[in-house]
Order: sequence, then structure tokens, then C-alpha cells
Amino acid sequence: MTQNGTVVRLSGVRKTFGTHTAVDDFDLAIEPGTIYGLLGPNGSGKTTTIRMMMGILLPDGGAVELFGGPPDFDRRSRVGYLPEERGVYEKMKVLDQLVFFGEIRGVARSLARSRAEKWLERLGLSEWSSKKVQALSKGMQQKVQFISTVLHDPELLILDEPFSGLDPINQDVLEEIVLEESARGKTILFSTHLMEQAERLCERVCLISRARKVLDDDLKELKRRERSGVVAVEFDGEAPAVATWPGVSEVEEAGDAFHLSLHDGVRPEKILAEVVAAGVSLRRFELLEPRLHEIFVRHAGEPAEDDAPLRTGGAS
Amino acid sequence: MKQIWSVIRREYVERVKTRAFILSTLGMPLLMIGIMAIVGFVAVLSEQSERQIVLVDQSGQLGERVRQALEQAGYEVELAAAGVDLENLDQQVLDEELEAYIVLDDTTASEAVFAYRGKEPPGSVRSQLMRAAVVEEIVDLRLGEMEDGDSVRRLLDGGALEYEPVGLDEEEAEEAEAERITGMITGIAGGLILYIMMLAYGAQTLQSVLEEKQSRVVELVISSLRPWQLMLGKIVGVGAVGLTQVAIWIACVALLAGLALPSLIAAASDFEELAQFRQYLPGPGAVLLLVVFFLLGYFLYSSLFAAVGAMCRNLQEAGQTQAPLIILIIVPFMLQMMTFQGNTMPWMNWVALFPFFSPIMMYPRAVMGDVPAWMVAASIVLMALTVWGAAWVAGRIYKVGILSQGNRPSPRELLRWIREA
Repeated sequence: MTQNGTVVRLSGVRKTFGTHTAVDDFDLAIEPGTIYGLLGPNGSGKTTTIRMMMGILLPDGGAVELFGGPPDFDRRSRVGYLPEERGVYEKMKVLDQLVFFGEIRGVARSLARSRAEKWLERLGLSEWSSKKVQALSKGMQQKVQFISTVLHDPELLILDEPFSGLDPINQDVLEEIVLEESARGKTILFSTHLMEQAERLCERVCLISRARKVLDDDLKELKRRERSGVVAVEFDGEAPAVATWPGVSEVEEAGDAFHLSLHDGVRPEKILAEVVAAGVSLRRFELLEPRLHEIFVRHAGEPAEDDAPLRTGGAS
Repeated sequence: MKQIWSVIRREYVERVKTRAFILSTLGMPLLMIGIMAIVGFVAVLSEQSERQIVLVDQSGQLGERVRQALEQAGYEVELAAAGVDLENLDQQVLDEELEAYIVLDDTTASEAVFAYRGKEPPGSVRSQLMRAAVVEEIVDLRLGEMEDGDSVRRLLDGGALEYEPVGLDEEEAEEAEAERITGMITGIAGGLILYIMMLAYGAQTLQSVLEEKQSRVVELVISSLRPWQLMLGKIVGVGAVGLTQVAIWIACVALLAGLALPSLIAAASDFEELAQFRQYLPGPGAVLLLVVFFLLGYFLYSSLFAAVGAMCRNLQEAGQTQAPLIILIIVPFMLQMMTFQGNTMPWMNWVALFPFFSPIMMYPRAVMGDVPAWMVAASIVLMALTVWGAAWVAGRIYKVGILSQGNRPSPRELLRWIREA
């Protein structure tokens, strides 16, 4: 696989629907091989951004580049796209449908068939392959749709809310596949409003809120930078008077543990020294990393569900 | 190109497999044959159930002759004496000992009017048979009494128009006549086929587009295909289904003409007249022309139907929006029906040049030889140009429409779609 240069690049992209601005002044660059999370509440502009990457919507301003050029037909064919809308041919048989999608993406019929069969087995749908799609549950239909996304072995996977609507077991299966594809050198971009999922999978995240980019960083780097300066300590036996320790601004009890907020500039080692000085036996000492959720809230306010109706479609 | 082929195949296979297609394809001819068979069977059956009849002759001269005629027609006739008590017979009818009886009187002898007395009117088969038997006998009898009976009989037979072709020998004239009838049959059948195909399969294209749009599956498809490829594949696929159906129907007719008919004639010489039917089957030229008109007409309408499907959000909306197209198909069909009924108006030939009307109006004119060849050629050129224009407009509406989930566009918005797509 040859992947040189940026896979997806948005520069100053803007999209409005009537008076509603769906995406504003948006920059994004996805390097090959990364798992990239596009995070934000519903209605924040994730789907619109993705649709512009796929050339389904044209931006009102700025530029969209896919594999170093406009998202034209040939470039789009190198992408596996899972739209947020779970469209399927309800009356077609599962395998026929997958073969059709493989074919229109340039996979030979017989190859499409054998690949589809393999994927169906992998996702536990083998016995459904000659059933009509409408006989499947929503979750199963979603898995079928996911298969049609990867059937042509694309270099880039763009998955719009791939996990929503799946039960935890299938979410795990899908996570595993995403990691596998990544290990095979694929670039993956997915959108989600589930922060935990993003936290587990992403190497890099981009937070969107109200049509604008709020954060765009390497996840580890982000967490380090956003470190809250909270130390969790837990003791065996009687706890010392942690609130009186120098450098501690606030104490919060969390079960057996104490979360100590430190004054600016106080290093965690200072607390360790206090522990030693107090002569108590330590069970746990941890620098608490901020949850993605907290980071998001800190930068964009509460990621409320459904804070604006999702605008879809419009003239392209 | 390969991708268009995949779309065509999907559209074709998924449609041909449906119960609706199989039922409508096989059902239509079977239904027609079945209905004809049942109607005939029931009529004959009911006639055979009660064939005994009493004949009362009050004229004193017709009785024996009519009895023979009726017996020849297959009835068991009991000739009652002239002075029989009619009230007694009526009572027998009321008691259902007798179904009905026939009374011949002096009016019968002079005007061939006779009475059929029963609780229920005679069925259509019975009244035909009886009237034929009785009236024929009386006319024969009366003509025999006349001096110039034979010439009156020929008058009664309706006379004849004997066409004497000028400049053609007899054989050529017969051929020309056969050609005219062939043209008529081909024109009517072809016009009907074109009408059904454009209406039914145009609507199916609309449905297919709308289904993809409504289920949002189009977003998935369109990431791998150009919109015009999808639209073209769909139109060709649906059209191929239509052609399959027509081909099956034509094959049924050919089978009937080629196999069933000769054996039927061999079995029962009464059907000999039907043999003529075979000589009126259209030649390859007319069939080829039908294909040309079908392709142009179908492409014209189905691309517009596809655009309507892309514009709308659901079937209700589509139902309203497609109305102008439906009218464009129905109006020429009605005009054509008028022509078939013999109202030939020369200016109608010019109306037939209107590309949206041409398939239904120009094709029958072409095969019946009502219009000069240049007019047919002109209409084909005009239609081809219109197809090109319609496909261009429809393709642009389609491209924007299938991904738009908003309201149905106003005419002004539609123009903007077409300009900006």
C-alpha cells in the first residue's frame, strides 16, 4: 500500500444551509495510517463535514482534498464510506446486495462473492446470507452495511457513527475490526458522540462544537497537556490529614481514595514526599488523566444530545 | 461501464424475480384466454342443460318445417296440436314441468316474429340458435313463394362492394388489402404496447428512484457511481424488464399462430377462417420500427419519470408531480383512438410530429402508410433530439434531487438545480 502525504485535508471549509451554518472555517489534516476521531454532539456538523469529504455536498467556501486532490470519482473509489443513514436494498438478499456493492466499486463478481462470504462469517451472519435484508434486525443490517463499506479493501475508511445502534458485543467486534484494519495500514476516520469509544480507539481526535473546530490533537498529547493536576491517593489503614498538606488546594473523597487538587506549579512528587513523611502505607498513587468527556466540556461546554436538529441534504 | 452493467443487472434481476412481474406477464394472457373460455363454456353448458321444447303452431303451415330446423339445431321438439290449451302449458311452465314453449302464429308467418314463453328469458346462445332456425325457415318459405325470390335473397344478404383496382391486377390488389389490414392490426397493437410500456415502466423507473432515495441507500451507491451512470443503469434495467414482458407476450401470440391454430383448424374445420389471421402478422420492418419508437419513447419518458422520482420525498408527492407526464402520454392515446375509429384528420399527422406524442401517434401512421416516409424520419430525428435534451435536464435534476431530503423544489428552484448541477 502506498500512502504518501495527507489523506484528507480540509482548509477553511464552510457550509451553510439557508441561514444555518453547519460547518464554519474548518481545517483538518489526516495523515496516513492514523485512527482519527471526529467528535462532537449531534448537530455539531460532523456528518456535513464527512459528506463534503465524500463530495456529496460541495462546500460554500474553502477547499476539500482527498488523497491530494479534489474528491472526484476516482479518489472516492479508494474510500470505504459508511453513511450515517443506514440505507439498504431491503428486498435484496444479503449476499446479492454485498456482491452488488462490491461490483459497483470495481471488485470482480466472484471475488466480491468470496470476500462477502468471509466477512459474513466473521460477523456471524453466514446463515442469513440468502435471506432478504428486510428480515434482518437493524443491528444486523448495520453490519451488512459495514461489510459493503470494506468489501473493496479501501485505503481510507470514513465511518459516520459506526457504533450507534449496535449492542455492546457487536460494538466490540467492530472495534476489533477497526483496529485490525488500522494495523493493516488503513487510515480510519470515524465520527462519534460517544467519548469513551473515541478514547479507546483514536490516536488523534478533533472536537467539533457548533459548527467549529474546538480541538485537534494527538490524544496522548492532548491528555498530557490537559492534565488536570489531580492526584489520587489511597491508603492502607488510617488516612493522614491530607487537606493540611502543603500544595493541596482541595480534597475530594472518592470511596477509599482521596483526589487531591494541587496548586499551580506544585509537582506530584511533593505529595509523594508528604506520604513518606507521614509514614503511612500507600496502596495507590496515580496522576489522574482527564477523561475526554471532561476535556470536551472544558472546551466546548456540555456536549448535549440533540442540541440542534441535524441538517441533512440540500443542493450540492 | 462495468458498473452501469452491474446496476442494469441488479435492476433487471430484482424486478424479474418479483411475484408482481411473473403474475402480470403470465397472468395477462392466461386471464384473457381463461375468461373467454369460461364465458363460452358456461354459455354452452347452460344451453345443454335443458333442450326440450314444446312447439305450438297456430299458423297451420310452419309447424313441421320449424320443428325440423330446431331439431337440426339440437333441440328435442314436441310439436303440439294447433288447438292445445295455452293456459295448460302456462301452468306446466309455472309448475316447472316445462321450461318454455314456442308459439308460432300468423304474425310469425308474415313477419317472422314468434313468442318464447317461459319464466325466464332465453340465454344468449339459445335465443341466437332459435332465432336463426325459425327466421331462416320463414324467410326461405316466403322467398320460395315469390317470383324473384332469388334476387331478393341476394338483397337481403346485404349486397357487396366489389373493389376493382385500377392499374393493379387482382393478385396485387389482394396483397395491398392484406397489407392494409396488417398495418391496421400492427398499428393498434404497437400503439397499445407503447402506451402501456411508457406508462407502466416509466412509473416503475420513478418508483425505483424514489425507493433508493427514501431508503437513503442512494448515498452509498452514489459514492461509487456517477449519478448519470446510476440513472442510465436504472432506466435500461427497467426497460429491459418491459421488453422481456412484451417479448413473452409476442412469443405467446406467435406460438398461438404457429402451433395452436393449425392444430385447432385440423381438429375443427369451423375455425378455418382463423387461419387468415396468420397472414396479417407484421413483417420485420414494422417490428424494427416498433423497437425504434419504443426505445426513443421509453427513454424520453422514463428519464423524466426518474427526475420526478428524484424531486419528491414520497409516493404521494410523486403522484402529483408526475401528472403532467401522465397527461402527455394519455392525450396522444386518446387522439389515436379517434383515428382508429375512422376519424382521419390530415392535420393530426402534424400533431403526431410533436415528439412527446410521436411514439403513440406516429408509429401506427407509419405502419399503416398514412404518412410519407420523410415525416416518419423527421419525427424520429425530433424525438432523438428531445430525448437528448430531456436526458440532460433530467440528469441534472436527478443529480441534485437524489441527495436532497428537503421539500419538493419550486419551479424556480428546479431551474436553479438544472443550471447549477
